[in-house]
Amino acid sequence: MNDDSNNSTTSDRAVEVRRVLVEAAVVAVVGAVIAFAANAISPRGLALARNYFPSTTGESVRPPLMPLVAGIKANGLQWVDGNRAVRLFKDPAFREQRILFIDARDEEHYREGHIPGAYEFDPYHPEKEIATVLPLCQGAEKIVVYCTGGDCEDSQFAAIALRDAGIPNLKLFVFAGGIGEWMTNGLPVETGGRNSGAMRNADR
Amino acid sequence: MKTLRSTKNVWMAEMAGLLARWFLGAVFVCLGFSKALHPVEFLKLIRQYDAVHTPWLLNSIAAALPWFEVVCGALLLAGIAVRGSALLVTGFLVLFTWMVVHRALALQLGIPFCAIKFDCGCGAGEVFICRKLLENAGLILLSTWLLAGRGRRFCLRYRLTQHGA
Repeated sequence: MNDDSNNSTTSDRAVEVRRVLVEAAVVAVVGAVIAFAANAISPRGLALARNYFPSTTGESVRPPLMPLVAGIKANGLQWVDGNRAVRLFKDPAFREQRILFIDARDEEHYREGHIPGAYEFDPYHPEKEIATVLPLCQGAEKIVVYCTGGDCEDSQFAAIALRDAGIPNLKLFVFAGGIGEWMTNGLPVETGGRNSGAMRNADR
Repeated sequence: MKTLRSTKNVWMAEMAGLLARWFLGAVFVCLGFSKALHPVEFLKLIRQYDAVHTPWLLNSIAAALPWFEVVCGALLLAGIAVRGSALLVTGFLVLFTWMVVHRALALQLGIPFCAIKFDCGCGAGEVFICRKLLENAGLILLSTWLLAGRGRRFCLRYRLTQHGA
């Protein structure tokens, strides 16, 4: 009698476990379908086939194990420090758009504060600004690309995207310190859109 | 008297299960949305784990995982396929916790383990590792409790298949 009861309990438990596993599998499949559909519909969705982390070292998306400047060089790009970036900013060629500054952060961060006169070019959404930025880059002599600074690689990705679009490598310079170094040095920052007129540290 | 106390205990256990289900569901919906609304940021963070090196696979994880969390959370909130959802949530939490510990150990350069602070891509910004592990342990306990059969109150459809319910 006891054996029968034990067998029945074990069998019930096995059925219950199987039921939960099947239920989890159904939720997993339905969840995955909904998740990919939501990504496809969302305006912020990711393009699944794109490599968002391009490098000249291959198709892998492995994060760099080397310091930022070494990574810039490994990607075949040139870099500038804060002093050189300031000299380029004060160069009369900047006013004539022969020197361009490109901000490789997203719109939200760009509007919070960017180097005055810099153009927005988010490498994760290049389609938004490429039509504006590309002709200007073609006409420029030097293009300084920057992002947040620190370990931010977005300026490199933006420079690589411009290079892939046909801009000669010799024109491209990555400002490694980025907006972080710029702001730490108390240099002028423009808020809102490009040429909005809203400035911080305008006297510097 | 004994029956009354027993009924009260059952009622309290049921209500605790209900609160656990709602809490876990709400946590997953909120954290899932916070990542789904900033997929590029999430993509950059999961790249730092250096676990996936193929672009389409990394993109797929970053694109789908946040919405998948929202779906699991919504199912728990509504009380649909509760144990199946709880099983998936438990699996995710165990996997995430293992990956977070692995990354924290990689970042531990001569500082105490609990002083390690980084954005683990969990949806709540930068956190101290020990706090994150405690939070995850709590969530794993809750999801395991639901998996064991708690949280049946106010469910739209506790089981997907109703045989023997």
